[in-house]
Amino acid sequence: MRFFPKLFVSSLIVVAAAMVLLCSAASAHAAASTLRVGIAEEPRTLNVWMATDANSNKILSLIYPPLYTEHPETLELTPWLAKAMPVWDKETNTYTMELRQAKWSDGSPLTAEDVVFTVNTIKSFKVPKYHSEWQFVEKAEAVDKQTVRFYLEEPRATFLTRSLINYVMPKKQWAPIVNQAKKQEKPLGALLNARVEKPLGCGPFVLERWQEGNFIYLTKNPHFFGRGQTIQGHQLGPHVDAVLFKVYGTADVAILSLKKGDIDFLWWSIQPGYLEDLEQNKNIRVMINEKSALYYMGFNVRKKPFSDPALRQAAAMVIDRDFIVKRVLQGYGARMDSIVPSENRFWCAPDMPEYGRGLNRAQRIKKARKILAEAGYSWQRPPVDENGRVVSPSTIVRPDGNQMEKFTILTPPADYDPNRATCGIIIQEWLKELGIPASARPMSFGALLETVKTRHDFDAFILGYGRLALDPDYLRSFFHSDNAKPGGWNMSGYHNPEFDKLAEASIAEMDTEKRRKLLYQMQEIIMEDVPYIPLYNPAAIEAVDTRTFKGWVPMVEGIGNIWSFCSVKPE
Amino acid sequence: MHFRKLIFRRIIEVLAIFFLILSGLFLLFHLSPGDPVSRMVQPGMSAEDASMLISQLGLDQPLWLQYLYYVKNFFTGNFGISFHYGQPVIHIIGRRLPNTILLFTTSVVLSAAAGVLWGKIVAWYKGRAIDTWVTILALVCHTLFLPWIALLFIWIFAYHVGWFPLNGMITPELWIDPTTGFLAKAADIGHHMLLPLLTLFIIHVGSYLLIMRSSMLETLKEDYILTARAKGLSEKRVRNRHAAPNAYLPVVTSIGLSLAFSINGGALTETVFSWPGIGRELIFAVSNNDYPLALACFLFISLVVLVANVIVDVLYAYLDPRIRY
Repeated sequence: MRFFPKLFVSSLIVVAAAMVLLCSAASAHAAASTLRVGIAEEPRTLNVWMATDANSNKILSLIYPPLYTEHPETLELTPWLAKAMPVWDKETNTYTMELRQAKWSDGSPLTAEDVVFTVNTIKSFKVPKYHSEWQFVEKAEAVDKQTVRFYLEEPRATFLTRSLINYVMPKKQWAPIVNQAKKQEKPLGALLNARVEKPLGCGPFVLERWQEGNFIYLTKNPHFFGRGQTIQGHQLGPHVDAVLFKVYGTADVAILSLKKGDIDFLWWSIQPGYLEDLEQNKNIRVMINEKSALYYMGFNVRKKPFSDPALRQAAAMVIDRDFIVKRVLQGYGARMDSIVPSENRFWCAPDMPEYGRGLNRAQRIKKARKILAEAGYSWQRPPVDENGRVVSPSTIVRPDGNQMEKFTILTPPADYDPNRATCGIIIQEWLKELGIPASARPMSFGALLETVKTRHDFDAFILGYGRLALDPDYLRSFFHSDNAKPGGWNMSGYHNPEFDKLAEASIAEMDTEKRRKLLYQMQEIIMEDVPYIPLYNPAAIEAVDTRTFKGWVPMVEGIGNIWSFCSVKPE
Repeated sequence: MHFRKLIFRRIIEVLAIFFLILSGLFLLFHLSPGDPVSRMVQPGMSAEDASMLISQLGLDQPLWLQYLYYVKNFFTGNFGISFHYGQPVIHIIGRRLPNTILLFTTSVVLSAAAGVLWGKIVAWYKGRAIDTWVTILALVCHTLFLPWIALLFIWIFAYHVGWFPLNGMITPELWIDPTTGFLAKAADIGHHMLLPLLTLFIIHVGSYLLIMRSSMLETLKEDYILTARAKGLSEKRVRNRHAAPNAYLPVVTSIGLSLAFSINGGALTETVFSWPGIGRELIFAVSNNDYPLALACFLFISLVVLVANVIVDVLYAYLDPRIRY
């Protein structure tokens, strides 16, 4: 002890004493019916016009109501703030819709004027997040207090499935902000950067407090229209007094919190590596649902070598999607046979080309070799020798007699998404088995998007959409030739007049059954031509504490949905 | 007089360096690939809508004009609006920077004080068992990987033993309770701070200790130490009054340097402990191409480091009169 001066020792004792004291001070707990939810990152903003990130929308979906939402089991469009399905008038190209009797969180009534205000704001500011869903709407009109009529410039199939699931905003709170923004030099910027401290909502919860960097606290909305009502067989609450969102920086700590009982629900896609540990814990239930996501390999079909569909088909043949799901996703996901996820039962086309499903490696290589040989490709030493054995081939020679140049498969880096980076390396090896000189190259996400989407300076890439809308109108965005310009979503540069025609017909077809047939045909064309090879749709893995709350509603994308938050009850 | 002149000259130098950093950062940001809007656009958003978003954010201006705006805005205290939060950057920094300063200043002060104290002692007992073991321990601390030790501490002390909260800066359940008083809230922050502080302390104390030890060993060879002993002064007095003050100098230099390093290690610490500081914000801002926020984070961090260096220089001049002349 003689090495430690007294002062230092005594200060250590003081710190230790303070620590014990502080431990007892911090042991306070919230009321039992506060649902504590762990999220990965702070929401960016609670401004609806600006919010594009998942975390902001998690909070916003509890505060602002949509007119229609998807039914948890059937995924059919279900009236939420609207009273019933809208009535379509073919003569005038109008939809008429009636609202429920509902109130904003301050007790003032929600009327048709609020809906009209929301539409007008989107249209006059061309709010980027919503504008494409509303630009074909000529105007919205309040017929009476509870009735809205939408005038469409042309029949538009996605009006129901895409436009009407947007939030309704309170005119009372936003009209002054909108008027102020219009006077600014950059009106849209002013609107997107506007901030309301207490959002006036109409959903099951209202914002009580946002302690930035720490937590978001929502309390029960006393005026929620759905309380005690039954919508499509679901009796709505909410049955909890408050929801407390806690922000975590890393998955490790969030999972420790769940195990320790600091949170009741981890609203976060858990990596399969954590599952073994979680499943052993009897207080924790792991919930696995499918996502509506698409992870795919895309080709640049504007230039050689991938302008040749035979080469793309051969690539699809050697890419073993079952292997990717089993090994890379450790079984937590689904193989994709079409661009539309199979979980989207209504729109996913059946009987798509299977590209070697169930075949082993040798069989795949033989089939791919046949496709390539028929299209005029050759090898000095082919991947299959005269005895029918698979061997390491020489570099493939294109039909024009030139050896194929080396090319790269761009992927996001492993720290951004290990799965996509791993897929790049596996696919590189599979293509080499055909003598196709591929090499996978991870690239920072922003640079990757710019290369692929704006500069079009690439051969192949692996990207994905974590949350695809349920309406498959994205097929039109991804593959219509109008979108192939720099910055457009047709990153592959796919151009097919037959597809374009079908895509244009599909958006104007107001009969759902007929539209479904058109979308099936579109999927068939794409899977035949394979500008994209769909790879996998990962599972949404979430976990809850079984001791505290029950009544979670599973749905595509997981249990974090409006139905769950209206249904969960304290155990 | 000389002292004042020195301070003045240092401030001028620091200002010049800061301006270089200011311009360098701007160039780096605009040369890096990827654009912020690509992150915000969703499938279905048309190219026209996306370009509208770009012009509203001021990203369609020529580079030199953007630079002039940037310099002007900086000197008028306008750091722009974060693309992602949609709030003025200065508000975000204003809320985050104090959290970082609180944690890192405390940790630097504590670990430097302990390092100096222990370094002084082990140097005095050079060659004995205590010296060997403490030096080995200090080397181990110095080379520990921060996120690993942080997670290990969370797992042991917060999860299994339960002495500390798992993460964050406050207990939400306590803060939403309107009856909670100021003292309880301060205590709550203190309680959350202990584990990150302990981690940072362990990481930093080793290097201070080693520097102090070797500097002290050098000093002990000096003639004036022999003189002091010859005068018959007590060992303690020789150590604390004659040797130690002269050995402080390298430690003071290293504090200035380590402030810079503690901020980059700070991003990791803040992420693992979910500490709402500026380092964590910087990581989000960079990965989301949020230029205004990332730029401002870098600028403030460099400002903090520069100011710390000026303070260290002044302190140095005060401790070592030779510098002043």
